[in-house]
Amino acid sequence: MANRVPIREGVFREDAGGGTLIGNKCASCGQVYFTKANFCFSCFGKSMEEVALSRRGKLYSYTCCRMTVSHFKPPFFVGLVDLPEGVRVFAPLIVVEDKPFRVGMDMEVVIEELWQENDKQVIGYKYKPV
Amino acid sequence: MREVAVIGVGQSVFGKFPDRSAASLGGEAVAAALNDCGILPKDIQVAYAARSYDANCTAQAVLKEVGIRALEMINVENACAGGATAFRGVWKEIASGHYDIGIAIGVESMTTSPIAGKLIPPEKDDLEGYLGMNMPGMFGMVARRQMEEHGATVEDFAMVSVKNHHHGCLNPQAQYKKEFTVEEILNSRMICDPITLLMCCPNTDGAAAAILCSMDVARKYTANPIRVVGSALFTGDYKYLQEDICVSPVGIRAAKAAYEMAGLEPKDIDLVEMHDAFANEEILRYEDLMLCEPGEGVQLLRSGATKIGGRIPVNPSGGLLALGHPLSASGVRTVCEVVLHLRGQAGARQTPNAKVGLAHMLGGLVTGLEHGVTAGIHILAR
Repeated sequence: MANRVPIREGVFREDAGGGTLIGNKCASCGQVYFTKANFCFSCFGKSMEEVALSRRGKLYSYTCCRMTVSHFKPPFFVGLVDLPEGVRVFAPLIVVEDKPFRVGMDMEVVIEELWQENDKQVIGYKYKPV
Repeated sequence: MREVAVIGVGQSVFGKFPDRSAASLGGEAVAAALNDCGILPKDIQVAYAARSYDANCTAQAVLKEVGIRALEMINVENACAGGATAFRGVWKEIASGHYDIGIAIGVESMTTSPIAGKLIPPEKDDLEGYLGMNMPGMFGMVARRQMEEHGATVEDFAMVSVKNHHHGCLNPQAQYKKEFTVEEILNSRMICDPITLLMCCPNTDGAAAAILCSMDVARKYTANPIRVVGSALFTGDYKYLQEDICVSPVGIRAAKAAYEMAGLEPKDIDLVEMHDAFANEEILRYEDLMLCEPGEGVQLLRSGATKIGGRIPVNPSGGLLALGHPLSASGVRTVCEVVLHLRGQAGARQTPNAKVGLAHMLGGLVTGLEHGVTAGIHILAR
């Protein structure tokens, strides 16, 4: 589909490695945010630097939803992934055969279609087992 | 600050009533509360009403049903803690001396709301909501952590639902008066694993009302005023500060503040009414409210202490799971239930010789903030 639209601008980018989530970091205290914060909520520092977040993290928890939620038809998996930067990301999860989800497993970010609406393909981030 | 008492409580029927308006349900609860303490509509000086959906001038619409008008009325919304917010609003008005007598109302008509038969929808700019975040999903992920970290089993979660449905059978006002076994709970439809349908609170229409007044005025109306000895309401912090999703920092903060204000300790509490929107949640709140040591919620449940007849009955009303959960009504309704126990009027579900009770509410999902973003806690004593 020609018309690829991100679910939100400035949250991720597609690149050679597949995709990267974009957050930012407080220049004063080092706190990292995803999605980006306008200023540091911890120390109120105003100087924020954009950072590319690690592609890999560890699965903190997950569930399989068996009812329709916004654009997702059941069954679909969602989960929380802890990144090395100290950020916990909520995202849909991709099922990989022979790699059942378990807490603590290594996960990798993937940028792909979330849903289609009218002539648009809405893309966003998901995680899949490494 | 002046001492404040609850002198009248009332609840509408709870259930699915698509033909009844919020004003009608609210009016039923208010009329019951007025009747409970024998005061006249004209005696009410201030009103707070809470409602989450389709709300516009709820207090005015409800109170005109019972002849209360032409006074200061304030409408609030705070998700599931809305009712607790309304109750606290009236408490503050009276404690501070602005008024002597007021009414707190919580009302929700879920079946006629825009979300009837649906999940609570995400706000337009709620990124996580559009990525599939939802309440049962959140509690499914919480349940997974409870099983990983705290030795909880799916049978424990089912046991909470068995307990609260048993309590509901003893409450004539409960939406569901039906016993279930652990097996029936576990075999009901899977919603967000490991959360099954019968571990989720139902959609409910209903209302509750509480009449508060200053202690010196209370004696005019009743020989049995129930004192509000603790009141706390807080909003949670940023989510990146919530390391463990099984712990509610805002719930703990509110509990500590309420205990401190009351000059009481958790061991002094005789019964608790709390937010059990999902069965596994109740176990976490035992710990937030310090009814047991951190990490020992499962043991407290298994000991039977939180059943009617146990050391510290939790949700003797049937809780949100069996009594029902009209979102903004629940925070007032929990106070009403505690008041009935402290008066010795709770019938078959009575907590023997109850002197102090705690009403807890927690609610709201906002991307970027800790889940269960608002906590409201009241401690009442006779």
